[in-house]
Amino acid sequence: MRIGRSQRFDQARPFVTLGLALAVWLILPVGIKAFARASFFEMTAPLAAVASYANDLQRFWGLRLHSKDELIEAGRDLARLDASYALSVQQNGELQDQVERLEALLRMPPYDHFRFEQARVAQRDFSGWWQRMVIRKGADYGIPVGAPVVYSGGLVGRVSEVHAYTSVVEMISDPGLRIAAVVDGDNRPISYQGGENPVFGPARGVIEFVPLDIYANSAAPKRLATSGLGGVYPPGLTIGRVVHVEPSADGLFKTGEVELDPRLANLTEVSVLVPSNPG
Amino acid sequence: MRVATVLFLTLYLLRVLITELNHTLSGVHVWIFAGGLFIAYSALMLPFRQGFAASVLAGLLCDSLAPVAFGTHAALFAIAHAVVYNVRERMQRDETAVRVSVALIVNLALFFLLTIVRIPHAPGDSIVWPRILSDLVCSQVALALIAPWFFAFQFRILELTGAYSSRAA
Repeated sequence: MRIGRSQRFDQARPFVTLGLALAVWLILPVGIKAFARASFFEMTAPLAAVASYANDLQRFWGLRLHSKDELIEAGRDLARLDASYALSVQQNGELQDQVERLEALLRMPPYDHFRFEQARVAQRDFSGWWQRMVIRKGADYGIPVGAPVVYSGGLVGRVSEVHAYTSVVEMISDPGLRIAAVVDGDNRPISYQGGENPVFGPARGVIEFVPLDIYANSAAPKRLATSGLGGVYPPGLTIGRVVHVEPSADGLFKTGEVELDPRLANLTEVSVLVPSNPG
Repeated sequence: MRVATVLFLTLYLLRVLITELNHTLSGVHVWIFAGGLFIAYSALMLPFRQGFAASVLAGLLCDSLAPVAFGTHAALFAIAHAVVYNVRERMQRDETAVRVSVALIVNLALFFLLTIVRIPHAPGDSIVWPRILSDLVCSQVALALIAPWFFAFQFRILELTGAYSSRAA
């Protein structure tokens, strides 16, 4: 009889331990959990950074294998680009001065100014549940939580976590990310949300509350950009192309599909827009 | 606690390798989930306390890198560990095929439980399910390929560090 009871207790012991562990976890203060999370993240961060640096080194040695002719050709192309960018910088400077003069004249509050902080991508984590990437700059470069992240094609997402030497970026393809957006040529805000991320294809998002008089299809797509509402993202950053709209179930608005840039899946470098005057 | 520490280090390495694999596959939108592999060996082969500690710590490691409430993976791994430990005497757990099968079944269960946790964040079920199912298929195939090597690796590391006790429980 005693042996039978002992065996039964032995069988239940894993579940008793499990129950105790769960109970302890539930009553643990939030501060301790936050500290534990940060500690576990920092435990993996150095290896992610090392792997990223190793990739950079690999690319560097790969580039060294190119012939001199190819390098001369690339240098010539870069010189052309450099000349056109130098002209754009001059034009931008003039426009900036003009904006500042008008702001002063009309006593308008200044637009948010941002500092561009370039960062290498250390890790990409694109699942069906979430779409995130880790970049190699964090609190050490003054990256704040919520800062917009951009690349040459437009918006990448926003910084969702900042750690000592790395930050986590929530991407616009993440099903949990919502942004107030506008369609090119229209200033009425619509809601964008990350959506489908099919295998072997570009990511897609969905739009809601689209006014009924907006039309778009894959033959005549419309550019979708940030509206500037909400204060997180500056206006005019490209999100993607609206390739389909259809009336929603209630008939008051339309819903639609947005095709995102395929380059988002292979980004190696991004820029974080750090507000110059936070708060 | 040496067994738990050594086992946790092997799981840490697994986590790093899976993260790098996912980074490499991100360009084609393929993602691998290997939750079953984090608990299979410890639940089948090790004494409860040491295996349980390693599984929970591995769960916390996964939690720190995922946008879920901290403790979600740890709780799921702990539950899976307790269940597998309770039924392990009824299995031929020395067989690699049995260990791989357990890892696959646990991985499937964990994947669906995590999907239930994450699905409220999605804009529409019909939109995300095809991708989730393709991730599941890829994960199961990858896990079946990795598991035999990883179990042998865990066994060898435990043996080399003198922490291994055969079928102790």
